[in-house]
Amino acid sequence: MIIGSQLASFFTAGALIIIGIYAALFLDNLIKKVIGLAFIGDGANLFIITMGYKLNGIVYIFLPGMSIDFFAQNASYPLPFALVLTSIVIGASTLAVMLGLIILLYKKYGSIKASKILGE
Amino acid sequence: MNPLIALLVIVPITCALLLNLLHNKDRTIKIIATIIAIFLPIIPLFTSYGLHYFGAYSTLAQSPTLAQWVPSTITNSVLNLYHMGIVYSFGSAQQVLLIVLGIIAFLAIITSLNEIKRPSGVYAFLMFMLVAAVSAIILSDDIFNLYVFFEIAAIAQVGIIIASKIKGNYETALKYMILGSIASPLFLVGIALLLGITGNVNITDIAYSLKTGIINPQNPVLLMACGLIIFGWLYGTGLPPFHTIKSAVYSKALPHGAALLQAFSVFILVALGIVIFRIFSYIPFSKTFIIAISLAAMILSITMALMQTDFKRIIAFLAVGELGYIGIGIGLGTAYSITAGLFQAVNEAIITAFLFIGFGTIMYLTKETDIKKLGGMMIHYPKAALLVLLAGLAMAGVPPLNAFQSKFMLIQSSLNAGIPELGIIMILLSIVTFMTFMKAFYAIYMRPEPKELKINVSKIPKATIFSLVVFLIICLVLGLFPQIATNALQPLANSLI
Repeated sequence: MIIGSQLASFFTAGALIIIGIYAALFLDNLIKKVIGLAFIGDGANLFIITMGYKLNGIVYIFLPGMSIDFFAQNASYPLPFALVLTSIVIGASTLAVMLGLIILLYKKYGSIKASKILGE
Repeated sequence: MNPLIALLVIVPITCALLLNLLHNKDRTIKIIATIIAIFLPIIPLFTSYGLHYFGAYSTLAQSPTLAQWVPSTITNSVLNLYHMGIVYSFGSAQQVLLIVLGIIAFLAIITSLNEIKRPSGVYAFLMFMLVAAVSAIILSDDIFNLYVFFEIAAIAQVGIIIASKIKGNYETALKYMILGSIASPLFLVGIALLLGITGNVNITDIAYSLKTGIINPQNPVLLMACGLIIFGWLYGTGLPPFHTIKSAVYSKALPHGAALLQAFSVFILVALGIVIFRIFSYIPFSKTFIIAISLAAMILSITMALMQTDFKRIIAFLAVGELGYIGIGIGLGTAYSITAGLFQAVNEAIITAFLFIGFGTIMYLTKETDIKKLGGMMIHYPKAALLVLLAGLAMAGVPPLNAFQSKFMLIQSSLNAGIPELGIIMILLSIVTFMTFMKAFYAIYMRPEPKELKINVSKIPKATIFSLVVFLIICLVLGLFPQIATNALQPLANSLI
């Protein structure tokens, strides 16, 4: 059941990335493109989080009374979680810049169609 | 541990943040930016070689005090040799690359401060932030840290394009971001796969795990990680299929901004290229792929440069094409060829910045970039014309200028590797590069001046001429005494083999 949820997370991450790439490449609406790009970033983040999952593991917080050996053998791997935090911040700032650019371009063209603004 | 190594990144970041806060205080921005820019090439000169550990811990094997608190299951395992935090590595090669980056940044920043009437704190922030990000990319031995600064640099690049106010800049910035938002997460997934397989993001540790067989190098997941990381590398550097957008990015930035943007591409090509080489060189076709993509970049970009009429676009395509030479040096995979590739990277970063700032004087004087509408500039500005001509000769690899030495080394490497065809292609493409440059040079400087051409500003700022002269001196010094750079770059190349 637990392995199943980890596998499901991997598949979800893959699906998010594929849907995101489709939206970014083939949809004409710039906002939809950006949503697609957010999907790709989220898929990558979910992929990393899932990798840090440990079957029957414990949260990587060293509590009083816990032996070091027990902690070392059972704690889930904290590095992916730390990496994902940074990745989320980067993704959010990239999205903010893109949305800002779309607002500027909307004011210029009166449209959010990629075919009209980006010319292809 | 050497604290100066961290300062190589911290100084430009702090300066960037300070300049952003001082926006609209023109005189203060000019003074602070100039002073800090002077220090950018000086700090690496005084930094001694070594490692810097963020978190202050080396490996457990090197920290017995720490190791006694750790269970024996860890100290008796390979984890004893793994690095626990972000590591910055500073050797002679990194020193040369950072000095070159510092010089380019210094000259680009003083040129911008003197060419722009009201220096913008935000623009200076973006330039310093880009310098900090590129410095970190050169230094970092941690692939995730490298990714973080890769992304920071990408956003700073977009900011530099937005700030240029050149027609079509927003559209180009958005296109670049859309492509970046596809390529970067895929690059991140590549890193995640490496993390999943090796449990590590430290490049030295990953390479160690694979070399010693702790991790099975034949694992197909590693192949997928290699593909995804190479995809991110292609996006960052502007190698095909990203050559068109990369050249558009250069052409939509102001010349001093473009000088820094191309430095980012050159140094990410080197830094990430070395990472790929260190981790994946055991994969049989990885080197062949690097050579093939480099050749494609050279042929496609130089051919496309021939068809352009905007001089910024011409230099932009030539700059992307020249990246191929560096890739070939890395792809050939011998210590000599890698040294040649690294030397070509140093030369190309200088020469392309030289060309961007040199041709940028025309944009500053006339606000025109279409070569069909330009002409006769040699009569008005003969000194600047001579400097630009010498920059073009340097790019084409004419002796005694620097690119001659590195291209000569690359051709020798291809002969040593038993692929003389590669050498012939490099010579032919150098000739085409020179022809393309001369087409732009003739149209701008030597053709009769069109009647409708308006020269808005009568004088080129002294800072710009100073920058061009400094670039020329560096080209000459490295051309006459290449060992200054090659002796410093060689240890890194040797360590990769």
